[in-house]
Amino acid sequence: MSEPRDVEIQLLAFLRREVFSPQIIVSEDTDLVAAGFDSLSLVRLLLFVEQTYGLWIPESKITAEILRDVRSLAAAVCTLLHES
Amino acid sequence: MTGWGGFFILLQRRKDYRVNSTELITSSARRWPDKPALITDDAVVPYGALAASIVEFAKQLQQWGVKPGNRIGVKYPNSVWYVVLTFALWRVEATAVPIPLECSEQEINSIISLLGLDAIISHHPRGDSVSMAPGLFITNLLNTPANGNHGLNAAFIRFTSGTTSVRKGVLLCHETVHDRIIAANKGLRIGPEDTVIWCLPMSHHFLVTIVLYLSQGATIALVNSTLAHPFLETTRRVRGTVLYASPMQYAWLARANSALDLATVRLAISTTYTLPQDVAEEFTNRFRRPLSQGLGIIELGLVCLNLDDPVHRSDSVGKPLPDYRVRIFNADNGGCGELGVSGPGFFDAYAHPWATREEIMPDGWFHTGDIARIDDDGFVFLLGRKTAVINMAGRKIFPEEVEAVLNRHPTVKESRVYGRAHAHVGELIEAEVVPSRVGADVEELREFCRSQLAAFKVPNHIHLVSAIARTSATGKILRPDTVTLYE
Repeated sequence: MSEPRDVEIQLLAFLRREVFSPQIIVSEDTDLVAAGFDSLSLVRLLLFVEQTYGLWIPESKITAEILRDVRSLAAAVCTLLHES
Repeated sequence: MTGWGGFFILLQRRKDYRVNSTELITSSARRWPDKPALITDDAVVPYGALAASIVEFAKQLQQWGVKPGNRIGVKYPNSVWYVVLTFALWRVEATAVPIPLECSEQEINSIISLLGLDAIISHHPRGDSVSMAPGLFITNLLNTPANGNHGLNAAFIRFTSGTTSVRKGVLLCHETVHDRIIAANKGLRIGPEDTVIWCLPMSHHFLVTIVLYLSQGATIALVNSTLAHPFLETTRRVRGTVLYASPMQYAWLARANSALDLATVRLAISTTYTLPQDVAEEFTNRFRRPLSQGLGIIELGLVCLNLDDPVHRSDSVGKPLPDYRVRIFNADNGGCGELGVSGPGFFDAYAHPWATREEIMPDGWFHTGDIARIDDDGFVFLLGRKTAVINMAGRKIFPEEVEAVLNRHPTVKESRVYGRAHAHVGELIEAEVVPSRVGADVEELREFCRSQLAAFKVPNHIHLVSAIARTSATGKILRPDTVTLYE
């Protein structure tokens, strides 16, 4: 079962590699939207989570709170994985 | 049609007059000077102030050396500024070339060279850019002045990427913008009492949307997040009447944990890719409002909109709006074939290589590449596509462009890129790669693609295979999805 810390590391690696430009420094508690996370980034994040964990994050769970930073996102992914 | 239509026709009759879309704002500002044109989280911009900003910014553009006929790239996020600078470019008779924010530097360089851009206006500094205002930079590209518009009164060139075999840059004149707005509003019926909730990128949607709304005196509320709660909250706060968004955004709205409703909304339009039926149903059940699919095509305008039966025929893009005619070409026994459209306000030319509308569609019919059928009541149903272009959450990806990048990698002998249906985002991008030697690495190939392409064009999956099917006659890559049918 995925642990929050592992998911954080994987999500951070994905965001640094595939979403944000190299000049932008992203850590576990960076405000994603302020760093430039937009709707296209969100689509790609959802696809990454689906591909990596076999989980399509339900639309009802996609809120500003879980997208605040990588820490809350990873926590939400882990909760959903445990529930399923 | 409201007053400016007649005003426009009078002006057009003057022999030396060239229609300019800034007249639309000037006219709205005269009629509704104090009415809000744009609302953001922290500002309300009335029509009078918007028109004044455009005049002021146009003067600045002239001071920075922007001249009539110049092609100016606009790489800018949704904002009041986006609207001001596009209309100001038109005011100085320059041509606006929107550059989507997601474009990579290589793609921007390709747009610059293929379209011969004279300058780029951007949100962030670039190379030799100078600051025009906080968060607004201009990069003069010092291209030799060459009016590539062949005397056309060009307002807009929408770059569409592709390969050498695909024409790039859809050019639209001011007269065309005017014609397609009139045609679209016969369906939309936007008026000064409307407030439109806006979240889609202006770099992809501007003419039969933003320009149309402003020409009719409507108010546009810019939502800075596409998530359900801010969208619903803004709609409630500004009493939104019209929604224009993608299926994914409607899925978030329909499934949101929120008590907010859409009581003030009279028209909700789904665009950019096929609306999944469960989303249409859930939206209608929850909000007690239909969700209308539309068919907008950059070359043509807003052709179809399902106003007549969005609940029972939610899988249809509806009937053509009154000014358009539709026809199925090369129909099979079941009446399925390629959708053709004729009507006003079609594109004027492809910019690269140059080809006029008359050359492309001599009989007046535009072949959309969509496989469709039309039922007995005249409703159009899109069933699939003739071309291999991939649509991921509304973003178009040309397989040949991604293949060309993959094929440049030293470990790749050849490749084939195609779309795979996905329940939520339309399609995913997949690639088959024949390695040229042992040691080809999928992650390395994706990394290579990321260095050359906009990030959303990087294949979601790459499969290493031993051979790619080709047609025996021409040796071209066989595309089993040459006619892709939607699931």
